[in-house]
Parts: sequence; structure tokens; C-alpha cells
Amino acid sequence: MAWTPGDDVIAVQRAPEPGGAGGAYRAFGETLRGLKTTFARMLERPVVYQYPEQKLPVYPRFRGRHKLHRFSDTGLEKCVGCSLCAAACPADCIRVVAAENTPEHRVSAGERYAAVYEINLSRCIFCGYCEVACPFDAITMGHDYEMSDYNRQDLIFTKEMLLAEPLERTPLRTEDE
Amino acid sequence: MPRPEERFVTFSIDGREVSAPAGVMLADGAKYGDIEIPVFCYEPKLGAPVGACRMCLVEVEGIPKLQTACSTPVKDGMVVHTQTQRVREAQNSVVEFLLVNHPLDCPVCDKGGECPLQDITFGWGRGISRMVEPKRHFRKPVELSPLIAIDRERCILCYRCVRFSQEVSEDYQLILNERGASSFVGTFDGHPYVAPFSGNIVELCPVGALTSRAYRFRARPWDIEGSGSVCTHCPAQCNVEFTVRDERVLRVLARDNHGVDDGWLCDKGRFAYQAIHSDERITEPLVRNPDSGELEPATWEYALDVAASAIEQAGSSVAAIAGGTTTNEEGFLLQRLVRAVGSADLDSRAGLPPVPAETQRALAAPALQATIPDIEFAHTVLLLGTDPIDDVASLDLRIRKGVRRNGVKLAVATSRPSALDANSRLWLRYAPGAEHAFVAALAAAVGGADGVEALCEKADADPKAVAALAQLLQDGGEDVVIVWGQRIGAAPLPSLLNLAAALRLGERAGAGLIEVPVGGNARGLREVGVQSNAGPGLKDAKAGKSAHEIAQQAADGKLTTLYLLHADPVRDYADRRLWERALQGAEAVVAHATLLSDALRATATVVFPAESYAEKEGTIVNLDGRVQRLRPAIGRPGSVRAEWQVLADVAKRAGHDPQVLTGPIVTQQVVAAVPFYGGLTLEEIGGKGVRWQERDAASAAPEAPAGPFEAGEPLAAPRPNGALRLGTYRSIWAAPEVEVSPALKFLTAKQQAEISPVDADRIGVDNGGRVTVSAGDVSVLASVFVRGNVPAGTVFLAEATAEQSATELLGGEPGLVEVRPA
Repeated sequence: MAWTPGDDVIAVQRAPEPGGAGGAYRAFGETLRGLKTTFARMLERPVVYQYPEQKLPVYPRFRGRHKLHRFSDTGLEKCVGCSLCAAACPADCIRVVAAENTPEHRVSAGERYAAVYEINLSRCIFCGYCEVACPFDAITMGHDYEMSDYNRQDLIFTKEMLLAEPLERTPLRTEDE
Repeated sequence: MPRPEERFVTFSIDGREVSAPAGVMLADGAKYGDIEIPVFCYEPKLGAPVGACRMCLVEVEGIPKLQTACSTPVKDGMVVHTQTQRVREAQNSVVEFLLVNHPLDCPVCDKGGECPLQDITFGWGRGISRMVEPKRHFRKPVELSPLIAIDRERCILCYRCVRFSQEVSEDYQLILNERGASSFVGTFDGHPYVAPFSGNIVELCPVGALTSRAYRFRARPWDIEGSGSVCTHCPAQCNVEFTVRDERVLRVLARDNHGVDDGWLCDKGRFAYQAIHSDERITEPLVRNPDSGELEPATWEYALDVAASAIEQAGSSVAAIAGGTTTNEEGFLLQRLVRAVGSADLDSRAGLPPVPAETQRALAAPALQATIPDIEFAHTVLLLGTDPIDDVASLDLRIRKGVRRNGVKLAVATSRPSALDANSRLWLRYAPGAEHAFVAALAAAVGGADGVEALCEKADADPKAVAALAQLLQDGGEDVVIVWGQRIGAAPLPSLLNLAAALRLGERAGAGLIEVPVGGNARGLREVGVQSNAGPGLKDAKAGKSAHEIAQQAADGKLTTLYLLHADPVRDYADRRLWERALQGAEAVVAHATLLSDALRATATVVFPAESYAEKEGTIVNLDGRVQRLRPAIGRPGSVRAEWQVLADVAKRAGHDPQVLTGPIVTQQVVAAVPFYGGLTLEEIGGKGVRWQERDAASAAPEAPAGPFEAGEPLAAPRPNGALRLGTYRSIWAAPEVEVSPALKFLTAKQQAEISPVDADRIGVDNGGRVTVSAGDVSVLASVFVRGNVPAGTVFLAEATAEQSATELLGGEPGLVEVRPA
């Protein structure tokens, strides 16, 4: 028996066929809209920062050279040497060797502290995973991006270097910048 | 009890048809269907499950309540669900309950990253905690012993450590104190938990409550690499895994091998790795400067030349002694060199008398060998002249397991009271030095020969006890395993073989003899021919001198060059003074050593730095004939070279090039030279080793002479007449590697005289008092240990202690010693 579609038919809504002014706009309109930006920029002056005399301000969440922190009240290191940053590091640039705190020699607030904490900045990709992994907020990414040096050896930052207050070399973007 | 037969049952778990051996618990059975059931307290090695943690709850159809998978054996047709809502609820709740008091210490906890509690919380936990109440607090961390730190806040009260102490090592020290929420693990009165196997609880603990003090905060799991190898500290040769970070061994873990160690390690095996990184280790060749007379660092070229020329010049008056930790390859190269220059003066028997090649072949017959697992399933086990805790530690746990779980009837026949006396059906004592008479008496009693009384009289053993022992061996079941110590000497061995023949040990697979040799690879060294009366494969060879004869020759100035491969005869072998004279008398002494002993410092001509066992490559043979492979875990420190290479270089320079370029080439040469290793490759040995008796090539084992053997006439033990008989033993803690390991230093064996209460009264001393024990003009200072079941008329002293070693007194014939208050 022949089958009649009847109610099973679904009508498909289609856009109007291109043609006329509408067709021309659809072909060139968007291109012209892009070109508007291009031509507008032609009138502007070039943006060049006179680095290093003039430094590019960074955003507050910019991920620069790492900093290690101390508790402000007790002066103890926040880092307990748990090595989670080293585990999270995709570039394998962090090395931690932990040791035990003793009552005579207390370095951190926990049972253990980092006796050795080194970041090889020539390997670091500044992904910020170490900061995310840290359970004690002991390591954060700072704003310093000027780390070039003459010797690769000097790019291995030790705990003392990371704990020291970094030189304020990088301007921070102000609210409206 | 004979081995249980393995029968498989089929059950359904999460809709899968799984077949698993009958009798296993669901938690294990589920693994056959690739289903994981989380557990904390369950550990099959610890024996019967306790169901303490409730983590393994599963739903079994037909049983209204959830069941613990760790204590429910699989049954045919069982239908199990592990993924239902009810089970998940229960698992979530158990994890939440365990975490109620568990502190959030993960960043500072040594277990973090390899912690079952972390893993299970992640996999089966609720994800959040509803608990805001304060957690319970303890003082932390506390020293449970100098080796172990305990953090009671982290403890989840799974009982694993307590069960280990109570049911596996049976030292009965760890208990749970208090009740309910106040429970905590500890010893009854808070004394330190010091026991030979205490380190195992660190590995057992499923949380970070018990941690190793030696490994404390050294590394996290992602900083380290594991490297499997074998421990060479004793002939048990337990399989271990080294934890390596930055080319340093930081920890030793057990590597489960049922045929060897059953997954346990002694504390020496677990902590003596520290000797590898000792500051005292020799890391460059030392040569004696002829002008100043001092040992001075030298280049390899010079040191090799000096050693080679010393051997070349000495020719047939070279003698060599290999210590127990030497690998088969090194021993093989050494005996080749010594035999090539025309000498046969080789020994690896730790100064014990040589055994005729005939007897050795009879003892090595594959049919007469029991395996280590046989101990667990035998009807009767006889310990003859050895105390496993000192000679081959992990065997002690194996015997305890057999007795406790399988009802093995244990008999102990030793001169010194044994740690296993309490577990035995029957123990008896004979006079030290009267092993021959005793074994002859026992063989006669079993064989129904007469003269038992007279022999017992000579051995000073109780004839009734000997008769009872013979009765037990004969009627206790067919599977009899005799574990005998090499220290009983050579004379009793024919009687031992006759005893084995009378008990028909050679005819049953589960019965036989196991020798406990002295030294880590003593068995392998003998099989590759490092002995004076047999070459590689126990074949006949030109007879040479044994260690004692070598010493006498050297002391008389008749021997020119003495080669000491990891052997320290002055410390370890009987008659210390003779050996001191021997080393001075020899024209040249060439030694391989990791630590410079006083004797070497005074007399050695060349000292080559030896590799530690974590750096070595080669094969070794454990006490039941399992050929195992040592693999390098770390690089060699300083300018240390592979020792097969050093031996090959020395041989080459002495004009006997062994034609070896790599370690495996030496292994090939060993395999080619020893018929019963035939065709063995390093791949075949693999990670678990292979018993040569179980391979086809075992048929190439030398023909064992047929018995009965001529037992000879045993000497009578001396009668104590105010003076006491001297017995000696070598403590597990009397070793240089213990002394230089900071963690183990507190256990270092000190000389103590074990005497019976009767003798203590007579001499007028008490526990801890000082006495001098003297034989002739030689005397040793010791502190007194009054031990209840030491037979009256006997004093026991430790050998190989750093100072006041009993080997001083072991010069002449076994005799009596005077014990006087110091």
C-alpha cells in the first residue's frame, strides 16, 4: 500500500534566497566592517615603549618570577617543604629537599621545612601551577619579568633569593590603565 | 600440614562471572575479575582477617546485611554487588568516619602521595566533610623506637601493626591501649618497640601513623624511583626495592616473593642501606707507599699493576678468600685467576672446616633439597644448630608462620637457646662443639641403631629428648624439613646424610634439607668453585688449602700474596690472633673492601674500593638454590669500578686474560662452567629468581654418592669442671654495616656472656655485671646476661663484635674457658 506522509512532514524554515542589496551586503558588509578598524588604526601613532627605560606595566594577575612568603607575625616560613609544587610543575624545574624542624631550629610552622628550595628559572614556563598546588599559599607568582642573566647557573633561584623582597622593577597597572 | 590443593570456584561479582581459588576472601577473589574492593585492615600476609575497618563492605545476595569482603570467603554461585547505592553509601560513611579524627597533615606527612587513605578517600569518599567538631589530639610525633616515629592522630586503628607484632613476628610488644575513642597503639608500658622485624610495621601502616625515622622527610613519592634488587646481608637474600633519589638510596622496601621472603624484611635489611653512603666508605684505590708505610690513594693503573705483579710474583703461593657478599661472577673470576697461576688455595667458608667434595655433592642433590616455602607446609621442621634470627632472619618469620597457621611441628636442636624454643613442640640442647656426636646420636636413634646412649653421653644431650625427637621425626608425618646451619662444621655431615636417608627425605617433594650458610652468597660461591677442594659445579679439582691452613702458612711466612675479596678474616673468622699474624706474615695483601678495617689499614698492600650491593651487577644464590639477580640501583661513588672489571683487569695484567668485556659475559662464563646452571640467562632469572633444582639442567648436577656414609667417631664434649664450655654465635647486629649506619648504631652487638642462673650464682655475678672469659692466656671482657634456658656449664659469647670478639678464644681445640668477675 502506498504511504502518504501526511502529518509526518516537517516543514523546514529557510532564509531568503540571496540576491539584490541584501545579497551584496552579505557578501561585502562584514569585510567592510573589519576594514573600518584597519583604516581607523592607520591614523593613530605607533605604540612603542622605550624598554628598558620605560617599562610596560603588568596586570595584577601577571605571572612573573616566584616569591616565597613568611608569616608576617612570627616570621616563620610558610613553606613546609611538601614538594607539591614540584609534583605539579610540568617543566620539572622545582627541587625541594625537606628537613625536620626542631625546637632549637624552627624554620616553618609545620613539622617539616624546606632545607633546599630551588627553582630553575631557565626551565620555568610560568604556568603558575606551583601557586595553585601550594596548600599554604607559600609560593606565589610575582610581577618581575626581568630575569635575564649572563650565566645559566645564576638562573637557579635558591630559597633565600625567593624569600627576599624582590626589587620593585616592574610597574603595576593602575586601576584605569 | 601438606600444601592445600588449589580448587577454583565460580561466582558472580557486579554481573561478571569470575573464577577464583576456593577459600580466598572476596577482597582477593574480586581481583580475579578486575574489580577493586577498598581495604585498610586487610592484609593477607598478616593471616586471618579481623574486619576492623569496615571499608570493604559489599552486598551479597541472600544475606540481608552488608558483608565485609575481607572476611567472607568466595563460594560457588555467590552473587556479589560492589556498586549498588547501599554499598556506596556505606563506603562513603566509613571514609567519613575514618576522617573524623584524621588530621589534614597530608602536605607534611611522609605517606602523602603513596597513602591508601588518600587514594580511598579520593576513590570512595564523599568528597566533603560534615564534621566541624574538633578532632582528637595526641602529642606528636613520638618516637615509638629509635627507628620508627608514631603519629597517633593519624592512626585509623586498623590493627595491622598490632597484628604483625602479635601474630607474625610474635614479639608481643605492640598493643592497643585504652578503649573506644581513646584507643592508641603503643607498647604496654611505653618502652621503645625494639624488635628484629619492627621496620615492617612502617610498610604495613595504611596511613602515615608509623613512619621511618631514617626516611623522615627525605623525599616525596614523586621525587623518587624504585629499583628492584636483592639484599645480600644474609643468605636469605630477601628481595628488596631501593628507593632512590639523586643517586642515593633513601629507603629499602620489601619486594614480595613467596619463594624467598614472604614480603617481610628484617631491620638490618631495611636500615643497613645507610652504610652505602657512609662517609667512611673507600671510594678510590689505596696502595701502601713503600717509603712511608702508609696506605695512600693511588690511580687505578698503579693499583692494578701493584696487585697484578704481587700475584704474578707469588705464582702458586697465592691464596684467596672470598666473603659472603661476593657475587658468583666475582667469585668465578677470582677462582679462575688463582687456579690459573697454579694455586688451589681458595676458600669462602668463613673459616669453617672444608667439607669433602663427595659429601658436598650428596648434600647438593636436588632431590634432597627442600625449598623455603616447604618449611611452611611441612609436617615437621627440625632446626639443627642454627638460630634463624641471627643466621638468616626472614626464615624465622617463615617458621613462625608455619607453626602458627599450618600446625607445623617444630623441633629445635641447638647448643644455644633459640628464639624459636617457645614455638617448638620439643627443644633440646647439646654441648657446643658436640654437633657431631649429637647428629650421630639422632641418626642412630632414627635408624634404630644402638650406641645412642653413648653418643648422647658424648654430646651431653638428654637421651630421652633425643629419643622423643627421633620419634617426632619418624611419626610426625612424612614431610620433614631439616634446617641445619653450616656452623655445625664438616664432621656431622655424613651422619646428617644418614639421618636424611633414614627419614627418606630424598623421596618426597615437600621434604628435605636446607643449609643455612654463613655469608650472603656462600652457597653460590661454593657452586662456582671458590673452595679448596672442588671447582665450578662441585667438580673435583686439585686440592688446595682451606682458610685455616692458609692462615697458618701465611703466619709462617710461606705464603706470599693473600687476596681478600670482601672478606675480613681478622674480624669474622675463628682465631683472630692467627689471622692478624697471617696478614702481617703475607708479603702482599690485596683486598676489596667498602670500609677500611683496622687490619687492612695496618697490613694491606692494595685496597680496591668495593661496590655496595646497590651498585652491583651479577647473580647470587640463596640458601635453597635460587639464583637471583643483583641489579644496579645507583651509580658508583667516587672512582669505584665494577668489581668483575677489577678482577678481570688484575688477571689480564698478571697474564691470564679472562676475555671478559661486560658483566653479562662473566655470567655466561659462570653458566657455561657450572653444569647445573646450564642455559640459564639473566632474562630467565628475572625479578624473582629461579631455583636451579627446578630447571631441566638440574639433571646435570654431579652424581651424588650413595649412602650410607662413614660417620666417623665423634669426639666427646669437654666436661665442665668449674671452667665452662664455650659456645659462640654470630649476632645479626654484629656487622660493620650496622656500626656505620646511623639508624642502627644503637643496636650494635656488644659482647655479652650468656650464662645459666646456676653458673651465675656460683661465679657470683648478676645481669649486667662484668666478667672476663679466658682460655689460656687470651681473655675477653663481657657483660653478663643470665639466660634461663642456657644449659648449666656453658657460656655463650658473640663472634665478630667490633671489640672483645669471641673469635679471640677460638684458637686451638674446643675446650673450657674460665669465667671470672672482672
